[in-house]
Amino acid sequence: MSSSTRDEVLRHLQRVGHLQPALHKQTHAPAPDEINHELYRAYTRPVHDVGGEYDVPIEYEEKEEEVWELNTFATCECLAWRGVWNAEERRRRQNVDVGQTAYLGLPYYGRWLITAARILVDKQYVTLTELVNKIDEVKSRNEQSTAR
Amino acid sequence: MSKAQHDRTHHAKIASGIGDPQCFAGKAGPAKFKVGDQVKIRDLPDIFYSRTMAYTRGAVGTVVRLVYESPPAEDEAWDNTDNPVWFYSIVFKQRDLWPEYSEAYSNDSLETEFPETYLQSA
Repeated sequence: MSSSTRDEVLRHLQRVGHLQPALHKQTHAPAPDEINHELYRAYTRPVHDVGGEYDVPIEYEEKEEEVWELNTFATCECLAWRGVWNAEERRRRQNVDVGQTAYLGLPYYGRWLITAARILVDKQYVTLTELVNKIDEVKSRNEQSTAR
Repeated sequence: MSKAQHDRTHHAKIASGIGDPQCFAGKAGPAKFKVGDQVKIRDLPDIFYSRTMAYTRGAVGTVVRLVYESPPAEDEAWDNTDNPVWFYSIVFKQRDLWPEYSEAYSNDSLETEFPETYLQSA
């Protein structure tokens, strides 16, 4: 392992610490008597159900889709045509199964893309080993072509 | 571990040339509610998945329209289409949903859809 990988891993560990939702309360898998129904419900709710949650005003930005976003949409539609998922299963996976941190933290089509990869593993169209090896292969190919 | 056996085209087979939700027409049985009925939104456990917004739970609204028959989202999200139900369009007074909603706009309403599974007589 190169030291740049270690640096990246350590930066990653620091970063996930920053992503902890701000509950103003430490959460390290509490003992059963430290959680009540209200907390249980808050933790187990479908995270896309944001209607009525307190929030700050969000700045509206006019922006066109990027090429990778359009490609992601087309890929997900192809998965539907081939019967890999239906629209409701796609929404469940990309809006709820990803969890609150990723739901709020990733770009909209980023959630589509990671979910498309996830369902191929979940339904055994590819193994995770095949997927990570392929990503690694594409990454090094890309690094070589940009180095030239 | 072997791959789960699942007919990936079962939905296309019933919906081709007909459409969705049209392919579920007549599959939900008699509707439990009719236009004008007062209904209360059930506060069913919302673990794993639901399309019934938390802010409507326990609120009372009026049936405006029976919209279509379809599997509830909670089933369809796992690709199960075995139990279609009636979907209803329900209208609420905004003041009944948001306690802080201004009295000046007390005529404001909100209309949205629910599967029959989430409705009870009010």
